[in-house]
Amino acid sequence: MADSNSRNKKSKSQHPAKGSAHGTSAWGDVIRNSSDTHRLFVFAGGIGGVALLLSVALGMGDFKRFQYSYLVAFMWTLSISLGGLWWVTLQHLVNAKWSIVVRRVGELIAANIGLMAILSLPIVVPAILGNSELYLWVDSHRMLEDHALHHKSAYLNVTFFAIRVVVYFGFWFLLSQHFLKSSLKQDGESADTQTVRLRRLAGPAMMGVALTLTFAAVDFLMSLNPMWFSTIFGVYYLAGCVLAIHASLALTLLWLQKRGALVKTVSQEHFHDIGKMMFAFTIFWAYIAFSQFMLIWYANIPEETHWYLVRAENGWLKVTWFQLIGHFMLPFAFLLSRHMKRNRTALALAALWVLFVHYVDMYWLVMPTAFVEGPELHILDLTCWVALTGIFVAAVAYRARGVNLVAVGDPRLETSLAFENV
Amino acid sequence: MSEMHHKKPESQEDAPLFGLLAEYSTPGELILASRKVRDAGYTRWDTFTPFPVHGIDNAMGIKMTRLPWLVLGAALTGLSLAVWLQWWTNAVDYPWIISGKPFWSVPANVPIMFELTVLFAGITAMVGMLVMNGLPQPAHPLDLSRRFARATDDKFFLLVEARDPRFDEQSTRSLLEKSHPAALEDVPEDRTTSAQIPTGLIYGLIVLTAVAVVPFALFAKARVTKSRNTRIHAIADMDSQPKFKAQRENLVFADGRSMREPVAGTVAQGQLRDDDALYLGKVNGAWVRTFPSQVTPSAELMDRGEQRFGIYCTPCHGQSGEGNGMVHLRASKLGQGWVPPSNIHQQYIREQPVGQLFNTITHGIRSMPAYGPQIPVEDRWAIILYVRALQKSRAANLGELTAEQRQNLK
Repeated sequence: MADSNSRNKKSKSQHPAKGSAHGTSAWGDVIRNSSDTHRLFVFAGGIGGVALLLSVALGMGDFKRFQYSYLVAFMWTLSISLGGLWWVTLQHLVNAKWSIVVRRVGELIAANIGLMAILSLPIVVPAILGNSELYLWVDSHRMLEDHALHHKSAYLNVTFFAIRVVVYFGFWFLLSQHFLKSSLKQDGESADTQTVRLRRLAGPAMMGVALTLTFAAVDFLMSLNPMWFSTIFGVYYLAGCVLAIHASLALTLLWLQKRGALVKTVSQEHFHDIGKMMFAFTIFWAYIAFSQFMLIWYANIPEETHWYLVRAENGWLKVTWFQLIGHFMLPFAFLLSRHMKRNRTALALAALWVLFVHYVDMYWLVMPTAFVEGPELHILDLTCWVALTGIFVAAVAYRARGVNLVAVGDPRLETSLAFENV
Repeated sequence: MSEMHHKKPESQEDAPLFGLLAEYSTPGELILASRKVRDAGYTRWDTFTPFPVHGIDNAMGIKMTRLPWLVLGAALTGLSLAVWLQWWTNAVDYPWIISGKPFWSVPANVPIMFELTVLFAGITAMVGMLVMNGLPQPAHPLDLSRRFARATDDKFFLLVEARDPRFDEQSTRSLLEKSHPAALEDVPEDRTTSAQIPTGLIYGLIVLTAVAVVPFALFAKARVTKSRNTRIHAIADMDSQPKFKAQRENLVFADGRSMREPVAGTVAQGQLRDDDALYLGKVNGAWVRTFPSQVTPSAELMDRGEQRFGIYCTPCHGQSGEGNGMVHLRASKLGQGWVPPSNIHQQYIREQPVGQLFNTITHGIRSMPAYGPQIPVEDRWAIILYVRALQKSRAANLGELTAEQRQNLK
């Protein structure tokens, strides 16, 4: 990062768009904010660290509960990062111009995937050490004894799981770092070399992201109930990822603008587009969630329906109804009008709500496995969420210190700055 | 357009001015010019571009369209119609149990609800857009301008109409000139194109409408008339497929049968059943009294027999073989003439050789149908093993028990 910064300074004189030492761009906007991002890093990191210690202390007493609460929070934060990686890949793939002014923030969020690899250890290590409280399939004897499961042990076994986790995080880490580094490098260039190169990479990268994301969703979430299977499950998780990244982008940009950065860079038009994507993927999520439900409901095969049966009985039925109303109907109606997407307060509310219902969605996917009778809220749910979110935000803020918050070297920047929806 | 002329009412010469047309080379220039015209307070003017130009609405001062409200209304109409249609057809008009679901199952209706919502919204958006824009417009004075043809290619145009209340030939012209157009042109009224709709088009539409009604008229007729004729086959080769069905006539062969015998002297793979004890239950014309050598009585075979007995035999013979199964109970109650299934615990059945029981299962007896085609040979023997066990459970001799078993009886 220091390397690209020095390159920035060198090129300032030759390239008018690169901005001054105070992080001011050619169009007179603040495009760096080291002091506020540093404060955020210290603040979020502090809270996250304390919450993590608290979670560990509480988890000593009830390790099973810790694992479940941690998995919910982990899949939630992972989805923001993964959504970011998917989103950045998509922008390169389709040669998107509107998003150039927003893309750097997406790249910074996507680059958190390395951190997520470390944060996955409380899930992965116990499984490798043979703790089957979370993932039943870790117990190979149980798998082999069960007629419906022993065929799956070729895939669901600890060794192959460990290999897959390394492959997923390795691929995500390399790809996200590559996107961020190439983009930072371009800040100091005036050519479209990186743009063309990344666009060529984006096609194969998208296939890789799609496959790894699908299998990761299967491994971390679907395999909680090894008997159950749904081929659309990866897409379901992707829908959540895409919602999460757009909500996060909106909130991050609104926060940056409140702190005086990017005020003249990111306009109502860009927020409108982020809102549109949030709206579209609210429908997409419902479409996928319902597709999964309807086929299973219609076919009515016991090994498939039991997954929904648990969620349609006792305390979980309320959460399932909440999914339909809170995750689809409310945000759909709320974001339908263009005025809502162009209003910053309304968009911020929608983004917060989307992140909340996405958390409920993760809770609904994970918890019924262990707590059949209904949701049993636990203090660990809160501490794990605060810990992971705090650390996540701190890492993004840390990465954002001292770098341009806009890809100033992108040749399509001017188009993006002047972007209008109508 | 000139081919469609029916008459040339007047000459194009000295036609009054329709408007002033300014041509620009870039969308940026057009937007700047539009702002000027907008700020000057004109209302009857328009711009023409080869592709959508972002920001032109604002530059022209066009207010937000009301079309979204129409679309929303249409979407809700489509949604309600889909709910009503499926509720009425599934639960009211023709209630029919499908997969054991309730007559009106909302999850199954959601795809149609989605489709009709999108269909109504989509069609309304398109038709509404056309109508609100005053389209289609078969003729327009601009069609006569050669220069204007490039509006679909690479030029950007701005037209101020003469009927605008603020229009003044001199001042409007100078306003447009200030925006530095690449060209400025007078557009005269169209005096050559007939305002009448061509008669051919009218008759064509009438014929088309009449033809379009025919299928609906046929549907309506078919709903109210009874006919001995076969119904209309909309997709003939789906209704009567060119294939030979079992038990049907086939004129290709001399014997007229569509099901073919194996070629004389041949046996299909796996069909050589030359072990009479196993496949027929008899040896040299006499029923076998012991299980064939391929069948070894065991606990697994007994379990299998119990399971198969439960599936195939209990409906008539009952759980314990007394001939009181559900089918029997129901048939007796209906009292329409019913040969009751045998109680397998009767003396004469207990004394039947296993081969004869095998034969009964395979070919049926009295009103009992043949189960040979349904139950594989192994399973038939398994059932017989279980039947023997059932029989023994009612009629075992004290002498057959071991000392220990006798002890347990006391």
